[in-house]
Amino acid sequence: MAKNSLELETTSGPNSQLKSEVETIRQKKRKSQLTWYIFLIPSFLGILLFMVYPIFESLRLSFYQSNGTIENYIGLANFKTVLTSGPFWNSVWNTFFIGIFQIIITIPLGFIFASLINSTPKGQNFFKVIYFLPNVTSIVAASMIFAFVLHPEMGIVNYALDSIGLPTLKWLASPDTSKWAVILLAVWHWIGFVIIICLANLQAISPEMYEAARIDGASGIQQWLFITVPNMAGTFAFLLITGWIGALQRFNEVYVLGGPNGSPARSIQTMGAFIYERGFTGFEFGIASAATYIMFMIILVFTFLNLKISKMKL
Amino acid sequence: MIKCSLTKGSSFILAFFLLVLLTLVGCSSDSGGTTDSGASSGGDSTNGESASGGEWAGQTVKVQLIGDFSMEDSTDPITGVKTPGLKNLKDEFEKQYPGATVEFIIMPWEGYTEKTQAMLTSGEADVYQMPGIADFAAQGLLEPLQPYIDADSEFSLDSFIDNQVDGWKALGPDSSELDIFGLPFLGDARFITYDKKIFDDWGVEYLSEFPTMEEISEKAAKMTGTNPVTGEQNYGVWFRGDWSSAFTLVNAAEGLGGKWGTGFAWDEIEFQFNSQEMVKGLNWLLDMQKLAPEGIVSNQGNEKWLTKDNNIAIMLNQGPGDLVQQTYAQGLEDRIAIAQEFKDENGQGGLFAGSPITIAKDSENKELAWEWLKFATSDFAQQYVYETGAFPAVKSATEWESVKEYESLLGPVFKAMSTPYTPRYPWGSAQPRFILTSEIEAALTGKRNAQEALDKAQKESTEWLENR
Repeated sequence: MAKNSLELETTSGPNSQLKSEVETIRQKKRKSQLTWYIFLIPSFLGILLFMVYPIFESLRLSFYQSNGTIENYIGLANFKTVLTSGPFWNSVWNTFFIGIFQIIITIPLGFIFASLINSTPKGQNFFKVIYFLPNVTSIVAASMIFAFVLHPEMGIVNYALDSIGLPTLKWLASPDTSKWAVILLAVWHWIGFVIIICLANLQAISPEMYEAARIDGASGIQQWLFITVPNMAGTFAFLLITGWIGALQRFNEVYVLGGPNGSPARSIQTMGAFIYERGFTGFEFGIASAATYIMFMIILVFTFLNLKISKMKL
Repeated sequence: MIKCSLTKGSSFILAFFLLVLLTLVGCSSDSGGTTDSGASSGGDSTNGESASGGEWAGQTVKVQLIGDFSMEDSTDPITGVKTPGLKNLKDEFEKQYPGATVEFIIMPWEGYTEKTQAMLTSGEADVYQMPGIADFAAQGLLEPLQPYIDADSEFSLDSFIDNQVDGWKALGPDSSELDIFGLPFLGDARFITYDKKIFDDWGVEYLSEFPTMEEISEKAAKMTGTNPVTGEQNYGVWFRGDWSSAFTLVNAAEGLGGKWGTGFAWDEIEFQFNSQEMVKGLNWLLDMQKLAPEGIVSNQGNEKWLTKDNNIAIMLNQGPGDLVQQTYAQGLEDRIAIAQEFKDENGQGGLFAGSPITIAKDSENKELAWEWLKFATSDFAQQYVYETGAFPAVKSATEWESVKEYESLLGPVFKAMSTPYTPRYPWGSAQPRFILTSEIEAALTGKRNAQEALDKAQKESTEWLENR
């Protein structure tokens, strides 16, 4: 519309008038653009207040001994305390242990399930819904239910193990098995998401490739290995990166299952829980902030490595 | 062209109004927002009248409360008992103090410490319910109450259950002597609870009023196994091996004449987590673990407690919580009984708990806030507290008909409230508690023996103290 009117003015008026008309139209354009910036202001303010400010405030706090009211500048002492703290490195170990096993179990398993669902001629939607259900369940509610499911005496898992003649486990009541209890919950909760993402990719692979392979005499397994798997590389990279970021930030389920100190004996205390314990139960906001930045660096390095390994472009 | 300009103009105006709306909502008076319950009923006709005249005209006291309080009456979903709303307190206070207005800010127990800290920092309320009083008093955020007590001839500390006032004493920022910063508001206690039916089934004599550790061990051992009457598996004892295990252990040490350590201010504290008594106490807990269900370290195995199918004889380190209501709701009043925790040579022992109420140092309405404190600790308000399922902190409660009705259960609870270890454990919500808890868990799960676990707890706690 603006372009049309500009063309009209160009043909009918002298040069000076044309200039002023052009400026007016530019101004109108600017005004029009300004409107959309105004629409962006509320969310921008929200991000500024609730994300940017806390990030910088947390950085500032990491150089202070602070209980929220009284603050003393102590330089890098908080970072030294965290980096020399046994419980912190224990929480790093727990976070990686749970994260690694969650990822190496869930991605292949989810991919296999997705391949199976993709091969079924009927009922694909039914299976999609069934497998995706855990992912839409609140992790807090799921954790509470898992505490019952994994009850050492009354839990259904131990009942099943016992009924097939296998030894029962203490699950959350022992540091030897508690991490596996969390892994079990994490796999159960995440696998639906992995299946859906894998399915989307599987369905996007061109059928002609399979047809050509069949003509060349490729078996089903060969087709899966040499067509399906290579075509899934991007999806695997995406799942690997998002899975790692999620795993390194793990907090909700371990908090519900083991409290802020990751009972029993800090065996399921993750980095997030360590930060919560020091910050919100012990009022050591400086230490919690320093631990947060160390956790941020760990996630940054790991995500960078993941990007390199998976050759995924940002 | 005109149409287009109008559309742009309209969207500009719309955006502008949205912005204004957002600003108005964000910056609106907190009398309508944060104090939901208080303010929502604050606009009724009663308030309109009271605010218009009277001795306290125009004065408002903002009261923060923690827990399941609500402005309106409600019905407990389990017991069916009706719980009165805070509006009863509000109406009575505003009647007694003509012209005054009380507004409530209610918060859940979840994360109450950090929320209280934030509220205190921003001056959100005049009066606070404050279990973590020691931390806040040391920051200079609370008003010392002794001058108010001295100046008020109507008020006496004798009305409170013994030890309750002492238990809430704390150190101010510049003082070396414990001072009164809060008055007891909600009572709490720790005690040992047991199921008389299981004792009867096994032919074991009930626990004495002040049982020793040997008595507990001996009787719990007798009641672990297949119940001779019901044929069900019974366990002699249960205790939380995780969250509160530090307090269970410290109480065991107190029963042996030991203590957690000395001092109250952080720079004076010396831990004795690996003393002989603590090691002996932890070894005793390890023995008790053999008589308990498998899940004590993950707070499991006690699911049948306070039900007709209960399978646990003795429960260590229990709090009143819903004990009375649930006991009566389940028809277990003839089964459940209470014995006292282990006491030291002074007759004290066990965790001091509950909630005091305090006045914020920066309150602009301290006189009215003090009146609220007096009101909240009066019989009227304390009876209200009792009716909501919490425990009163005043001596006169033992004379109330509603308490006498449940004498068998409540009598020992009130007794326990008068004999906890005071002053309260200053490390109760700080890092040493979590260090000690983790090491107790390490011992209970066989990672370390009692001595090694407590040596480690002592070392880490002392290091934490030095570095703080």
